[in-house]
Amino acid sequence: MKETRHAEQRAAILLAVLLLFAVSCSKSPGVYRKTKPLMDTLVTITVVAGSDKEADAAIEKAFSVIEQFGDKIDFFKDTSELSAINRNAGVNPVKVSPETLGVIERAIYISGISDGAFDPTIGPEIKMWNFYKKIRPSDDAIRNNLSLVNYRNIIVNRDKSTVFLRRKGMLMDLGGIAKGYAADLALADLRQSGIGAGIVAAAGDIRAFGLKPDRTPWNVGIKNPRQKSDADDLMATARLSNKAVSTSGDYERYFMEDGRRYHHILDPKTGYPAGQCRSVTVISDDGIFADGFTTAVFVLGPEKGMKLVRDSGVDAVIVDKDGVIHTTPGIKKMVTFEDGH
Amino acid sequence: MKTVIRNTTVADKLLFLTLIAASVAGIFFSREAMPQGPDIVITVDGKPQYTLPRDKDRLVSIPGPFGDTVVEIKDGKVRVKEAHCPNRLCEKQGWISRGAIVCLPNHIVITVGGKAGDLPRGIDAVTG
Repeated sequence: MKETRHAEQRAAILLAVLLLFAVSCSKSPGVYRKTKPLMDTLVTITVVAGSDKEADAAIEKAFSVIEQFGDKIDFFKDTSELSAINRNAGVNPVKVSPETLGVIERAIYISGISDGAFDPTIGPEIKMWNFYKKIRPSDDAIRNNLSLVNYRNIIVNRDKSTVFLRRKGMLMDLGGIAKGYAADLALADLRQSGIGAGIVAAAGDIRAFGLKPDRTPWNVGIKNPRQKSDADDLMATARLSNKAVSTSGDYERYFMEDGRRYHHILDPKTGYPAGQCRSVTVISDDGIFADGFTTAVFVLGPEKGMKLVRDSGVDAVIVDKDGVIHTTPGIKKMVTFEDGH
Repeated sequence: MKTVIRNTTVADKLLFLTLIAASVAGIFFSREAMPQGPDIVITVDGKPQYTLPRDKDRLVSIPGPFGDTVVEIKDGKVRVKEAHCPNRLCEKQGWISRGAIVCLPNHIVITVGGKAGDLPRGIDAVTG
């Protein structure tokens, strides 16, 4: 009787050890993350995959897609397609790749529906500012360059795959839209590699797809535009699956002068920093629209901005110049605000 | 001791095993949850080259394809004081006390307060 009991105990212990071993060795999908400096920022790709090897191969391939795209639309690189377009402003149309054509066509679309609140031809104005050295251009210089800012003077020929800036001196800067598009391109590539869930975060321009291994959506923190400490102070958390989110804020590149904040989001109609918002977060189906809309809504301000996002079927969180938060109805289902917001 | 072992039930032994497994797992999980290491890490060509405390002021000169990049640590903050790359975005970023400065042309990444890409607990990405 005693021996039978001992045998039962031994069998139970053996079973428990085997179970523990089986659990630790099972190949359940895991979350893998990698960060790489690309497009003058840090890009982090997170994927759900069956193994480290599978994740690494897919992430590295997606990184190379972002790198190649980034090289084509680099404002500062002489060899980029964007630099060729800018050099040939008022001279010749320039043949470009489908990716560059794609991002420019979408930039023109967002410029049109926002009535020029977003305008990629803001280059001649933005290049006169230096937010680090606190250099503010003269009022005359800002006024003079305004005539060069007009997205209607970007001529795209889809059949020939060319882009032409109609006036000499025009400069196109795709910084307000390119990272969102890069996230879109990387996500498409990850899907091609067989990845069913993950996040592409080109700095704050994020594309989340699928669900985490525990079948819950991804948690994306939204930064508080007025940080209380060095730690990432979050204003809210969005629960996202198959959505893109981007944020533009007056705290990214700025300087203070006589109590006024001069930041990098310029109003294309005046050439001066737009003053009606602290930050704008947009949630949409595509990264490029989330990215482009944040700038447009920031420039338009809460009232006109809300109308634009509602008409366009995307969701937004706007923190206005006084810190008041405005949201679209769809935000309630996706975003939880921290206490005090 | 023998009596103690004899008096334990199968359930006790299972609980004991589970507790051992949980404590071993805890070592790995806590390592993952709390980023270790120094305050300021300078990575060159993807490899960490300098690991520096943020409480000691200093200048570090890092050679690269566009000449020397001068990194300054002062009052717990860090900045790129001097860069010779074409866009000098790293220099324009100014002082940071958390996050990262990236100089793509010189293949330099400076991170403060943890590894590049570190996130708050329970958060998968941050926008803003």
